[in-house]
Amino acid sequence: MSNSHPIQLDPHGEAILEQYRSLLPVFKKMEEVIPDRIRGFFDEAGIVVAALEHRVKEENSLAGKLELKGAKYKDLFDITDILGLRVITFYIDDVDKVASVIERLFEIDWENSVDKRKLHEIDSFGYLSLHYVCRIPESSYFDPEHPELNRIRFEVQMRTILQHAWANMNHDTGYKSGVEVPREYLRNLSRLAGVLELADEQFSRIRTELTDYRRRVQALVASGKLGEVPLDGDTFRSYLELNPFQALNRKIAAVNQAEIQPVSLMNFLSVFKAMGCKTLGDVSNLIRDYGEAAYQIACYQIGLTDLDIISSSLGPQDLCIAFILKNGGGRAGVRMLFDALNGPSESNESIAEMLVEQASDLPFMNQ
Amino acid sequence: MEFNISTQGAVTTAKLIGRLDTPAAQECAPALEALQEKAGGTIILDCKQLTYISSSGLRIFLTLRKAAVAKGGKVIVRSICPDIRNVFVMTGFLNLFEMED
Repeated sequence: MSNSHPIQLDPHGEAILEQYRSLLPVFKKMEEVIPDRIRGFFDEAGIVVAALEHRVKEENSLAGKLELKGAKYKDLFDITDILGLRVITFYIDDVDKVASVIERLFEIDWENSVDKRKLHEIDSFGYLSLHYVCRIPESSYFDPEHPELNRIRFEVQMRTILQHAWANMNHDTGYKSGVEVPREYLRNLSRLAGVLELADEQFSRIRTELTDYRRRVQALVASGKLGEVPLDGDTFRSYLELNPFQALNRKIAAVNQAEIQPVSLMNFLSVFKAMGCKTLGDVSNLIRDYGEAAYQIACYQIGLTDLDIISSSLGPQDLCIAFILKNGGGRAGVRMLFDALNGPSESNESIAEMLVEQASDLPFMNQ
Repeated sequence: MEFNISTQGAVTTAKLIGRLDTPAAQECAPALEALQEKAGGTIILDCKQLTYISSSGLRIFLTLRKAAVAKGGKVIVRSICPDIRNVFVMTGFLNLFEMED
């Protein structure tokens, strides 16, 4: 809205503006309460959104609106966008999920709500957004100091991040200048809307396919067909849920009746890959083939101490040391292992030297 | 066993001097509590003059690590001697901490 001229309001417009001033604390209260309610529900439903924006319309913006179409409104309660919220989602499917949360939280004024996604003809592209006009039911929130709060309607817009980008660009290019925009620009904007609509669908499809992939992998892991599961971040995480190193760690811990402190083992993913593991089956075979050697290393080290605590990374650490030494990786290989696990450091060289020396006396190195 | 704590901004340095054995670990409880309160920032455990660590000592390190993870901070273990580093290796604790030479 351009404010280049002084706004002239008729008495009706002035009365609505006065009503706005007196109800402003209520709108501010609503702006505090409503986003919190929405966020709480999103957390419960596991919905992740790109942004939740909100604002109370500024007085000058309302005055501009009243100057143009004040007669349309009986009073301030007829204007539904004094408080506006916008939920921006990453995925197109999430717009409907968000809408169902809003429907559960608030009373929806269906007559004034609009799904702009359904307004387009089959050959037109443009603004896509879901707008709900809502009220907070008293059963959900009531403030005796502000009983009007349950009467006031507010607007919630829901759209994807790409729809949001398009709407902003369209707003900047189309309306702000007040100058008629040439047809070619409008056509380009329309074409862009079509491209973004396709991109939104594609993002959603990729997410669905990834979810399917993860489910398939989890099923394969659960059924023990590890040789068919490629080794990557997702599959390794699922594999770790089966505690594949638990038996080895327990065997090591039994030496000193030690407690095992569980820690994340995700940092071993890159190490196993560097050791040539391509599937979860390869990691499983590593445990089978080098578990005894790893146990020998651990026994040698802690057997003569009274240390009664180990971390769950000890088993995989010693497994990797055993594999490297048995396959001729030597000191350089062990140093690389510790550089990968702990970050490069000169002291890793002396650790490697000590481990090579210790292992040279162990049965697995002489078999 | 001495546990000298100093704080500069978000960085708290604890100098560990002597043997961190089981009795010393029990004596360190107040110092540990003070350090846990700083776990939202960076805690440097300066081990240059630490000559021995037992399982109880490792548990103190672990407690601090857990507090730091919970509060979004970090624990750096600085200047450990080779013998203590070996203890960290043989227990699998080495890759739980950021180590500084």
